[in-house]
Amino acid sequence: MKHWIAAALALVAAPLAAQDFSEGSEARSWNLYAEQPALFEAKVVDILCELTGDCPDNCGDGRRQLGLVRAADNVLVFPNKNSQPAFTGAALELLPYCGQDVEVDGLMIEDPDLGATNVYLVQKIRTVGAEEWVKANTWTKKWAAANPEAKGKGPWFRRDPRVNAAIEADGYLGLGVEEEAEFIKGLHE
Amino acid sequence: MRYLIAAMALALPTSGFAAGERISVTGEIIDTWCYYSGVMGGPDAVVGTAHHTCALWCSAGGIPVGLLGDDGQVYMVLKIEGDDGSASGDTQLSLASHQVTADGMLYERDGLKYIVVEQVVSEGITNLSHLDYDVVPPFAVPKPKN
Repeated sequence: MKHWIAAALALVAAPLAAQDFSEGSEARSWNLYAEQPALFEAKVVDILCELTGDCPDNCGDGRRQLGLVRAADNVLVFPNKNSQPAFTGAALELLPYCGQDVEVDGLMIEDPDLGATNVYLVQKIRTVGAEEWVKANTWTKKWAAANPEAKGKGPWFRRDPRVNAAIEADGYLGLGVEEEAEFIKGLHE
Repeated sequence: MRYLIAAMALALPTSGFAAGERISVTGEIIDTWCYYSGVMGGPDAVVGTAHHTCALWCSAGGIPVGLLGDDGQVYMVLKIEGDDGSASGDTQLSLASHQVTADGMLYERDGLKYIVVEQVVSEGITNLSHLDYDVVPPFAVPKPKN
């Protein structure tokens, strides 16, 4: 009976223990303080649906953050970032796989000092069983397709209509264009 | 013994939805990737006015928005007053760097806290971090064209 109880307790504790998913990972380092390579299988879910039962079609069609319920331990991993160094998230990269079982490779962020756990940067995705990986770097192309009026030179974030409207209205610091004018002028002197 | 086994069974992971808890949180709307990853610097440098433009970029770019509570906890924001646009949504973008009080439902899973905000009151941007850090990243404010 003692052995049975020990086994049952181990089963309860297993999901709580940090696991190493770095084996086989080919993730590129971003030289982040708390990064760890992580390759794992998971189901792509709408996080709001997963937590509350509020579940629109197709994981919200790109409006919502998507998560990865890891097959090995049922942990909900939150992909915060895609693989582009351009202030871009992961939801649109995962949307084509809504509800599907996938394999992902990328970087896990575990920083207890900041409360970061199960936070993920996804670099590539494939459906379970597929040969070819798909790079998680399509956000800017999708943004360009959705914002044809913003076509031009320079990175997307300099041309985004909503961002530019916010800066035009409230300035780079958000305090008001006139209020921060002197500070902004001083930055480049 | 039966009670012990029943208690362990209850502790096992189960399917189904998490139970929410009503909560009120006061804090700042932040971009979570810069805060968690340290890619732009320490946590004090990636909040407030110094980081406001970057927070706009990240929110518009679909990076998850969080509410950094005065208690030091980060609450991942999934919905605000009926707007479920948590990936590049307009409501979240409009609140970048704002100090807010949010009332809603708290959900916790696997070490992260999530909030579905039912009502939010903003005090505007009150964290004047540019006084300590200028602008983070420095290229957030482009050089004027001559």
